Amino acid sequence: MENKEPLSPHIQIYRWHISSLVSISHRITGIINIIAITLICLWASLLLLGESNYIMINSFLSSLIGKFIILGFTWSFSFQVLSEIRHFIMDLGYGFELKTTKISGLLVIFGSIILTVVFYLIGKNFI
Amino acid sequence: MINATKKWIFLKISGAILVPLMLWFILNLITIYDQEYVNVVNFFTNSLSKFLFSIFIIVAYFFSALSISEVFEDYIMNDKIKNAANRLLYASAVAIPSITIILISSL
Repeated sequence: MENKEPLSPHIQIYRWHISSLVSISHRITGIINIIAITLICLWASLLLLGESNYIMINSFLSSLIGKFIILGFTWSFSFQVLSEIRHFIMDLGYGFELKTTKISGLLVIFGSIILTVVFYLIGKNFI
Repeated sequence: MINATKKWIFLKISGAILVPLMLWFILNLITIYDQEYVNVVNFFTNSLSKFLFSIFIIVAYFFSALSISEVFEDYIMNDKIKNAANRLLYASAVAIPSITIILISSL
C-alpha cells in the first residue's frame, strides 16, 4: 500500500543555507557514525582471533588510509556532538533568530574541524 | 502521550547520554587505534572502559535506530519497504551491541 503522507521536499528545490547544510550533514554524519560504530564493534570482536591475526588489522589501521578513516570518523563524531548540542539549545527555545542560526551553524561546521584536530593532538600526546 | 512525543523524549535522553560517551570514546579511539594487540586488548578488558564502551554502543544504536527511522519516514514512500527497513534497523540495533558485548566479555 502506498503512503499518502507527503514526503520531505527534495533537497535540491531550496536555496542552500547554513542551517540546511548543517541539518543534512547531521543526518549524513548520523549514518556515517552508525557505520563507524559497527566497524568498531567488528574490530573489538576480531580481537578474539588472537595476536597473530591482529597484525593485518593493525597494519591497515597504521597505514595512511587507516589514519584517514579514523580521522574521518573523528570528524563525523565531533560534528554529531556539536550539532546535538546545537539542537539541545534550540529545544530550550534559544537560537532561532536568522543571524544566530547562521552563527551556530558555522560554529558546528568549523568547530567540528577544530575539535577533530584537538582530539588528534590530545590522543597522540602532542598536547 | 502520543508515540511521536515518546520517541522525541527517548531521542533527547539518549542524545544527552551519548554526547559525553562519544567524547570519551573519540579520545580513546585516537589513542589506541594503531597500538599493539596487547594495548588494545587492555583497553577492552579494563572494567571501566568495558563498561563505558558497552553503554556507549547500546545508547548509540538506540539513538541511531530512532533517528534513522525518522529518515526512513521522510524519504521512503512505500510502506512495505519502510516497515522492512525499520525491522532490519531495530533487529540490528539489538543484535550488534549484544553480540559485541558478549564477545568482548570473552577477551
